[in-house]
Amino acid sequence: MHVLLVEDDAVLADGLSRVLQGNGMQVALAADGLVADQLLQKSTAAVVVLDIGLPGIDGFEVVRRLRARGSTVPVLLLTARDAVEDRVRGLELGADDYLVKPFATAELVARIRALARRNAPKPALLSLGQLTLDTAARRARIGERALELSVREWAVLEYLLQQSGRVVSKQQIIDAILPWGDDLTLNAVEVYVSRLRIKLLDAGIAIRTIRGFGYLLEAQA
Amino acid sequence: MSSIRLRLLKWLAGPVIVINLAGAGLTYLLAWTPAQVAFDQGLLDAAAALAARAQLGAAHAVDPAPRADALDATWFSVRTADGRLLAGDADFPLRPPAGSAQIYDATIRGEPVRAVVVAAQAAGVGPLQVGAARTVRKLRQVRSATLRSLALIEVALTLALVGLVWLSVGNGLAPLARMRANLAARDGDDLTPVSLDGMPYELAPVVNAFNDLLDKVEAGAKARHDFLADIAHQLRTPLAGLKLQLEWLSTRHGADPETVDSIRLMGLANERMIRQTNQLLALARATAAAAGKVRAEPLDLAQLVQEAVQYFVGEADRKGLDIGFELALAPAVGDPFQLRDLIDNLVDNAVRYTPAGGTVTVRCGRDAEGAFLVVEDSGPGIAPAKRALVFERFVRLGDTSPGSGLGLAVVRDIARAHRARVMLDSRADGSGAVFTVRFPA
Repeated sequence: MHVLLVEDDAVLADGLSRVLQGNGMQVALAADGLVADQLLQKSTAAVVVLDIGLPGIDGFEVVRRLRARGSTVPVLLLTARDAVEDRVRGLELGADDYLVKPFATAELVARIRALARRNAPKPALLSLGQLTLDTAARRARIGERALELSVREWAVLEYLLQQSGRVVSKQQIIDAILPWGDDLTLNAVEVYVSRLRIKLLDAGIAIRTIRGFGYLLEAQA
Repeated sequence: MSSIRLRLLKWLAGPVIVINLAGAGLTYLLAWTPAQVAFDQGLLDAAAALAARAQLGAAHAVDPAPRADALDATWFSVRTADGRLLAGDADFPLRPPAGSAQIYDATIRGEPVRAVVVAAQAAGVGPLQVGAARTVRKLRQVRSATLRSLALIEVALTLALVGLVWLSVGNGLAPLARMRANLAARDGDDLTPVSLDGMPYELAPVVNAFNDLLDKVEAGAKARHDFLADIAHQLRTPLAGLKLQLEWLSTRHGADPETVDSIRLMGLANERMIRQTNQLLALARATAAAAGKVRAEPLDLAQLVQEAVQYFVGEADRKGLDIGFELALAPAVGDPFQLRDLIDNLVDNAVRYTPAGGTVTVRCGRDAEGAFLVVEDSGPGIAPAKRALVFERFVRLGDTSPGSGLGLAVVRDIARAHRARVMLDSRADGSGAVFTVRFPA
């Protein structure tokens, strides 16, 4: 996945590049609003990560010009300011999401992936630890061993994998998989998760319970 | 320091007493003069009657003995021009009359008298001097009674005046006393102008000058807080960069325990800087909140907590705590950023003071009283005597824990700005700390 990173702080830009590359993304870097504006005119980036405070033209103006050209590439704004006016203005100009510095890395990666998914066909392969989900062939494997999953178990696991590293509520899970299911209770989600846990014992991943709230899928240390 | 009352008394009482004394003197004269004139006229009449009898040659018929009534004694004297005593008292101090009559003060037998002398003619004897005198005992009694009464009246008038000045100054200064009470009841950061309502016109310049000063102080405070917020904002980017670099380093050098430990320590220091930077921002916002600048939009506390769950879980993991949530719809009205600050600070506080292995539970919902937010932990709790203290700025109960001492003060400021109450208690079994924030229905 290609990401265009626009950030003028050298330390943060370098750190972001390394972390995003470490998560399997190809990162192009611009440190100036005008340079970013030019790059975006012929960019094939799947997601733009855009700082608001930039030399040249600021992030708001970059988004405005981008949308004025009719581009639909998803934009994640980064800002040091959390004033509500900044957030509202950014979203009104056509940005898709907003993250306040300093952010948790998992949160950033998850949001970039979510934005990329929104604008692109679903990736065929989802994987974490020893677990691989081939969404095109609808086949799950742990290592080389095939894993049998019910339709509902598959839906819950797919969503958890898409959101890996993020805490998701039971309601979020229900909302995400409703297209497959008609009527689902919070208790039902608990049942699917406990079944998945048993099936994923040797997959090198854990579905943690966040008491009273939901779940967090992460690779086991 | 000088007292307005005393100044007014000094400037009013002196002149008023002088004026009163002058008035009293005049009253005395006005009352006294007719009495004196009547007395003198009586003596003159008596002398004239005596002279008339002497002219008739009946001077010898005048009783020479002093005639006395209950109080005063009267003397007479009739002498010829060459000093021969025709009738009356030999020791009468006659003076030659200047003109037809003379009135004067004299002494008879050691007692002061008022005396008159009139000139007369008697057939065969020639010019006569006829004197009459009377003691002034009654007159003096009347005079001293008049003086006593006047003195009493003066003292009473003066006392009444002092009392009136005292009371009216107190009454006139009442608006000042109200203003003082208003100012004394304020918090240190309440810089709203003093109202001119009910202030007398004379105080307006003082109140206006004072309000101008408050404006300047507020502008200064705002400039400082803006500066603080600006610095805090500018720190965020390098802190974020440092955080990412450290994370990358730890994935690269995960095999070397000493490097991992060093990176972990740097990460902890960085997290602390991030937290304190965020607290500076929260403080700047809470100060704006305390000044009454609160956005009022309808929101759901459960939604606000949900947005922060990821962060809370990360913090609890770092500390090895079990964090849980019991979130139900909790509609409130307020500023979402400030309320996030409030929630963050309460949870941060619970996470920081709860030892590893403990639990933290965040709860919200609504009941008959309105929306509520509860953050409960299994930490050491706070002794009842110290519970009011923890909401003060820069107070830290355990100096071993890292913290700026601002968190709960920020919570208090934000709660207050939202007319919410913050209560601190322990759990049912007496352990841990339970912070409850109740919002108005």
